[in-house]
Amino acid sequence: MKSFSLSEDIKTHYLYPSALFADKEPYLVDTILGSCVAVCLYDPVLKVGGINHYMLPLWNGNGLASPKYGNIAIEKLIEHMLSFGSKKENIQAKIFGGGEVVETATNMFRIGERNIETAEKLLREFKIKISGRSVGGKKGRKIRFNTFTGVVLMKYIEKQSE
Amino acid sequence: MLSNEKIIDELKQRLLKAEKSEDLFEKQNQQMIEINQKLADAESLKSHFISNITNEIVNPFASILGLSRNIISAKESDFKKIKIMAELIHSEAFELDFQLKNIFTAARIEAGLAQPEIIRTEINQLIGSVVETYEYKAEQKQLNVKFSFELDEKLKESVFFNTDPEKLRLIISNLLNNSIKYSNAASRIELKGWIEDNLLKVMVKDYGIGIDKNNLEVIFDRFKRLDASIHSHNPGHGLGLSVSKALLDSIDGTIDIVSKRNIGSVFTISIPEGIANEKDGFALDGNEFIFDTNEDEIF
Repeated sequence: MKSFSLSEDIKTHYLYPSALFADKEPYLVDTILGSCVAVCLYDPVLKVGGINHYMLPLWNGNGLASPKYGNIAIEKLIEHMLSFGSKKENIQAKIFGGGEVVETATNMFRIGERNIETAEKLLREFKIKISGRSVGGKKGRKIRFNTFTGVVLMKYIEKQSE
Repeated sequence: MLSNEKIIDELKQRLLKAEKSEDLFEKQNQQMIEINQKLADAESLKSHFISNITNEIVNPFASILGLSRNIISAKESDFKKIKIMAELIHSEAFELDFQLKNIFTAARIEAGLAQPEIIRTEINQLIGSVVETYEYKAEQKQLNVKFSFELDEKLKESVFFNTDPEKLRLIISNLLNNSIKYSNAASRIELKGWIEDNLLKVMVKDYGIGIDKNNLEVIFDRFKRLDASIHSHNPGHGLGLSVSKALLDSIDGTIDIVSKRNIGSVFTISIPEGIANEKDGFALDGNEFIFDTNEDEIF
């Protein structure tokens, strides 16, 4: 018995880095994470969810204010949830990624770690409970988020290009 | 009992510590001031941006409406006049279309909706068609801007490359538009495309006003125009390059700029070949996600 029989006819979406996905309809959202972090927000009352995939922790004022940056991506995702009619106190968050997968000079910048910190800090500020997480480490991750059930399936992957 | 020397040593060390923390405090203070300044700048640029955009949308529409009204009421014998007015309408609409494309693309990127749509694309034709749409504008500015359309031998034939054609088109349009905008009269623009190490490269070279070294870093900033005065002769709101940069990011491309004040600029983009997604929204690495509730971790 599968935990979500809906998966047979549910729509799927592949989430690219720097993008954001939120829909009132049920979706399975797949994404691949290295040092990037994805925050999945889910409202168990309305059974809606959304997910982002950001590459860097904070927007420094350069370039477009896109969800490539954690602070923008998280704020925008929360806005989406609220626009669906979710109440902030009902929203649950799950965070994934932030692995230090690239053993190079970029380690100096601890991008993965800082991405995780950003998610934790901002979610705390917005008073959104983190109900699940798999962050850090050296491996990349593939995740599949079911926006209807809030369930996230995760697999570790060895090689990671992001 | 502590000797006087020891006491002096201890005092010295404490003083040093205090100085150090004062330094750190000073540094952090400085950072705060810088960030504050950035915020203030962003705010003023934002209002400037809105007034700029208003000008750039409202004014062309006013011209288009006026000119088309003239055409409607013109006599049939005034064919020459009508043609001139139609040309003016075309160039106003062309500019408007281009600006709106940038604005809407920026909005999509900022909303996190920009997804790469990789398709087998004929590069030669794509670059050619962008150049074609700008031929009129180049002539119109009476700059004698000449395109020396130098494509590599390889690209002379049909060359297919997996990439997002719409994004590439807008990126090249922005580069070409800028090079026309910042070219001096009677100069030329060179456009070259080639493939090197599996990267698609497109170079746009102008002999225009160029960019100062210290300004090179800020040209991708949103709202930023180096000559930000409202009375500047050059229209535009500085969105083009930040849009191009974000689009390049989304297809893993990079941009390289070599520029010298009053000599000219060379913009070169490099784009790796993408993997064509047969079905929109599937795994990038070609491997299907195989999830099994028994094996995978569930959160």
